[in-house]
Amino acid sequence: MKLQRHHLAWGLLIAGGLALAAAGEAMLSGYERTVLGFAGIYAMLAISLSFSNGLTGLFSLGHPAFMMVGGYVAAILTFPANRKGFMLPALPEWMASWQWPLFPATLAGGVAAALLAVVAGFPVLRLRGHYLAVATLGLIIILRVVINNADGLTRGALGLNGIPRHTDLWWILGWLALCLLVCWRLKYSSVGRSLLAIRENEMAAACMGVPRARAKLAAFTLGAFFAGVGGALWAHLLTNLTPGSFNIALAFMLVVMVVIGGSGSLIGAGVAAIAITFLSEALRPLEQAMGAYGLVQIVIALLLIAMLLLRPQGLFGSAEPAFLRPSTAEHRAARPLSQAEEREV
Amino acid sequence: MRFRSLLMAAGALALASAVLPAQGEAQEPIRVAALYALTGGMSSLDGPSLKGAELHVDQINEAGGVLGRPLELVVFDTRTDQQVTATAAQEAVSSGVVAGFGQSDTTFVMAAAPTFQEAQIPFVTSGATHPMLPTWVGDFMFMAAFGDDDQSYAIADYAYDSLGHRRVYVWTDNSMDFTRALTAFFKERFEERGGEIIDEDFFMMGDTDFSAQIARLEAVDPPPDAVFISAIPSEAGLTVRQIREAGIEMDIISGDGFDTELVASVPGPELANNVYFSTHTYLADDRPEVQEFIDAYTEKFGHAPENSFAPLGYDAIGLIANAIERAGSDDPIAIRDALAETRDYPAVTGTISYTRENMVPPKPVSIVSVQSAKFAVEEIWRPE
Amino acid sequence: MSGGYLLQQVLNGLVLGSFYALVAVGFSMIYGIVRLINFAHGDVVMVGAFAAFGILLVYGLPLWAAVLAVMTLGAILAMLIDLVAFRPQRGAPQVNGFITSLGVSILMQNLGILLLSGQPRPFNLPGWLRSNLELAGARVTVLELVTIVVTLLVLLGLTLFVRGTRLGIAMRATAENPAAAQLMGIKVNRAIATAFALGGALAALAGLLWAGRAGQIHPLMGFVPGLKAFVAAVIGGVGSLVGAVLGGYLLGFAEVLFVGLLPPAYGSYRDAFVFGLLILILLILPNGLLGRAAEERA
Repeated sequence: MKLQRHHLAWGLLIAGGLALAAAGEAMLSGYERTVLGFAGIYAMLAISLSFSNGLTGLFSLGHPAFMMVGGYVAAILTFPANRKGFMLPALPEWMASWQWPLFPATLAGGVAAALLAVVAGFPVLRLRGHYLAVATLGLIIILRVVINNADGLTRGALGLNGIPRHTDLWWILGWLALCLLVCWRLKYSSVGRSLLAIRENEMAAACMGVPRARAKLAAFTLGAFFAGVGGALWAHLLTNLTPGSFNIALAFMLVVMVVIGGSGSLIGAGVAAIAITFLSEALRPLEQAMGAYGLVQIVIALLLIAMLLLRPQGLFGSAEPAFLRPSTAEHRAARPLSQAEEREV
Repeated sequence: MRFRSLLMAAGALALASAVLPAQGEAQEPIRVAALYALTGGMSSLDGPSLKGAELHVDQINEAGGVLGRPLELVVFDTRTDQQVTATAAQEAVSSGVVAGFGQSDTTFVMAAAPTFQEAQIPFVTSGATHPMLPTWVGDFMFMAAFGDDDQSYAIADYAYDSLGHRRVYVWTDNSMDFTRALTAFFKERFEERGGEIIDEDFFMMGDTDFSAQIARLEAVDPPPDAVFISAIPSEAGLTVRQIREAGIEMDIISGDGFDTELVASVPGPELANNVYFSTHTYLADDRPEVQEFIDAYTEKFGHAPENSFAPLGYDAIGLIANAIERAGSDDPIAIRDALAETRDYPAVTGTISYTRENMVPPKPVSIVSVQSAKFAVEEIWRPE
Repeated sequence: MSGGYLLQQVLNGLVLGSFYALVAVGFSMIYGIVRLINFAHGDVVMVGAFAAFGILLVYGLPLWAAVLAVMTLGAILAMLIDLVAFRPQRGAPQVNGFITSLGVSILMQNLGILLLSGQPRPFNLPGWLRSNLELAGARVTVLELVTIVVTLLVLLGLTLFVRGTRLGIAMRATAENPAAAQLMGIKVNRAIATAFALGGALAALAGLLWAGRAGQIHPLMGFVPGLKAFVAAVIGGVGSLVGAVLGGYLLGFAEVLFVGLLPPAYGSYRDAFVFGLLILILLILPNGLLGRAAEERA
C-alpha cells in the first residue's frame, strides 16, 4: 500500500504512546504512574462506551457492572494461591490453587463481562432510551448486592485487597490500543454503518434490512468486554476492590466523557477521558491549599456546562479527527489496490 | 504538564540548595501525610480527627518540634472514595513523607495502608478498629484505637451484666465491613454469656427510612430487651429517632459508630433516651491529659471536641512524633521499629502499648449512655 | 404474620411511596414538556429541606409560612435551572440536557458542601406533626398522614389544572408539539416555566416533608431522591403524570414490602429485588406502566 497521510498519523500516535509508556515506567513516581495509568484506563472505558452508546444511540449506564465482573473475576484468578484458600472459602478446591498471570486473567475478566452482557442484553436491549438506562442501572445495583453478599467468594463488603499490582503502563497501552483498533475498524465497516443507521432512525434501518437486535447486542457485548478488561486493569492498579468500587457516579462520569468527546467519536471520547482525569488531579493541590474541599467538582461541573453550551456536539461530534482518516481521494485510489493485494494473499 | 513543572521545580530546588548555605538542613521540616475524608459520608469522623491532629502539631511545634525540626502535615482529602484514597496514598508515599496516618474506617484504610506497607513507610490509622488490620496489611500498619472485638465484648458484657439484657434483636448495616464485624463479635460474645440473639435485620449505609424494620421489631412477641444497631454516624441518629418516634422504648445499644452528637441531636431531648454504646475513652476520664486536650481543642476551634475521633487524631500524630523522638532519626524504618516498641504512651484515649501479638493495642473502652440527649460515661472497661 | 403487621407495612409503603411520587411527578412534568431529564431535580429537594431548616429553626416562622416560602423558593430555583441549563439546550440531543443537569446537580451539591459543610444536621418539624395516631391497629404519625393526603391532593390538583385551566392546556399543548403550540399563539416559554415552577415547588415541599420525617439533612441528600424519581418516572412511563405517581408508589411499596414480608435474612437483598422487579416490569411493558411508544421527534 502506498504510504498515506493517515498511516503516518497513526504511526506517530502509536510511537508516541510507546515513548510515553517507556518514559513513564522509567522516570515517573508510583503516584504519577498511577494517575497516567488511570487516564489510560478511563480512555479505554470511554472509547468502548462511545462505541456501544454513542455510535448505536443506546443509553446504557451499565459499564460499571461489567467492570465489577471483570475486576472480580480477574482478581480472584490472580490472587496469591497461598492466601486464596482461607480468604475465599467458598471457592472450589481446584480453583483455590490457581494463580494466573495478568493477561489470561484480564482476558477471562473481559470474557466473563461479555457473557453477562449477552445474557442481560437479550431481554434488556429491547428497551430504548431512558428505559434502557434504568434497566442498566438496575444491573449495577443487582450485581453490587450479589457481590456484597457472596462473602465466601468475594469477601463481601470488605472486598479484595493485596491484589498483586501487575498493571503497568505497557499493559494499559496495549489494551487501549487494541480497544481503539477494534472499535475503529468496526466503526468504519459495514457493522459500524449499521449501528449508525440504527442510531439515526431505527425504523428506517429495519426497513433497510439491518439486523437490529444482533447489531445492538454485538455493540453492547463488545463494550462490555472492554469494560471488563478495564475493571481487571483497575483492580490490579489499585490493588483493592470492593462492591462499591464501580458505582452509579462512575457510570455518569463515563457518559460525560463520551458526550464531551462527541457521541460516536472514539478519539473524542479518549481525549475527553484523559483531559478530565488530568484536570481533576491537577486541580487537587489548589483545593488542598485553599482548604476549599468540593472546589474540584465545582470547576469540573462549570466546565461541563460551559462546554455543552458553547459546543453542544462535543469536541469531535460524530467524526474522528481528519488527519487520522483516509482522505476521500486517497481512499478511492487505495481501494482497488487493497483489493488486488488481498487477491495476492 | 505536571511532569514538566516537576522538572522545573526539581531544577530550582537543586539550584537553591547549591547556592544557599547548609543551615537549611536543621530547619527542614519532618513531613507526615494525613489522609482524611473531609467530604462525603465519613467526614463527620475524619474532620474532627484532622482537627485534633492539627492541634497536636501546633503544640509540638510550639515546644520546639521533633528532633529540633518542625513537624509538618501534608493533608489529603480522600473524599470517602476508595479510588481517591488509594491515589492519595500513592501520592503521599512519593512525596517524601516519613510516616502517614488517618482514616476512621477499615474499608478505606485497606485502600491506603498496603501502599505504605509496600513503600516501607509506617501508617497509623486513627479511627479504624478491625482487629485483623495489622495482620492483613503487614508490619508497617499500626492502630491508635482498640479492636472491634474488644469494644463489642465490652458492650455485650455491659448489656448482659449491668442492663440485664437476655434477648436482643440485631440490626446491621450490611454495606460496611466495620458494622458487619461489630455485629459478628457482639453476637459471639452475647451468646457466649448465655444471651439470645432473636434475629437480625439489615439496612444499607445511606438509607433514611427504617419503617419496615421498625414494624418487624414492634411485632416481636414477647418484646426484646434491646436492639443492637450496628451503624455509622449518618444512620445512628436516624435509627434512634425513628425507633423512639414509633413509641418503642426498649434499650438501644451499639458500638463507636454511635459516637456522634447526631445520636442526641437528631432524636432530640424527648426521644434520645436509653441509648448505650461503647467508644474510645476520653470523656469522664480523670487523667490530666484528657482535660488538657479538651481545653486546648476548645480554645483553638471555639467548641468542644465533636466526638471521640478528635482525640484519636490527636493521638495518632502523637504516637508518630513520640516514635520519631525515640528513634532519634527520620528514617521510616527506624520510626516503624520505634512505633512497634511503644509502651505506655499517654494518649488522650487511653494508654497505648503494642504488647499483643496481633499488634492491636489493649485500650480501655468507655460505655456511654444517652438520656434526654445528654451523654454520660457509665463505665470504663479495662482490658486484661 | 398478623393483619396488624401487614397493615403497618402497607402503610409504611404508602408513606414512602408518597414521597417518591411527589418528587417523580415534578420530574415527569418537566420531562413531558421539554423532553429533558432534569438531574438537578433531586437537589431542589435538598434545597427545600435546607430552606425549611433555615426558615423554621433559624428564623422561627410558623409552619404555614415556612411551607409557602419553601415552595416558592423551590419554584424560583427550578425556573432558574431551566433558564441557565435547559433553555440553551433545547434542540440539542437529549443526552446533552441530561449531562448539563448533571453538571448543575454536581454544582449544587458541592456548593452545599463548601458553604454549609458536609456534616449532617438534625431537623425537626413542630412536635404535633410527630405525634402518633392509631389507624385500625397500625401506627402512623400526623406528618405521615399529611404526606399521603398532600400527595393525593397534589395529583388531583395537577390533573384538574392540566385539563381545566388555560395554562394547563397550554402546557399539554407544548408537551405535545411545541412548534404547533407556538403557531397557535401559546406562549411556549411561559408554559415551560410553569412546568418547572410547579415541579420545583413540589420537590421543595417533598424535601421539607422528607427531612421532617427522617430527622436529618445534609448537602448530598438529594442524590437518592433524584435517582428514585428518575426510576419511578421511567417505570411509570416517562412524561405521564399519573404514571410517575404510580411509579413512585410502586417503588415505595417494593422497598418496604421486600424487607417487611420476606424473612429478615433477605433484607440485604432488598435493592436487588426492587430493581429485579422493575426490570421485569419494563420487559413486559417496554414503555413503562402508562408510557406511550417513543415518538420520533422530527
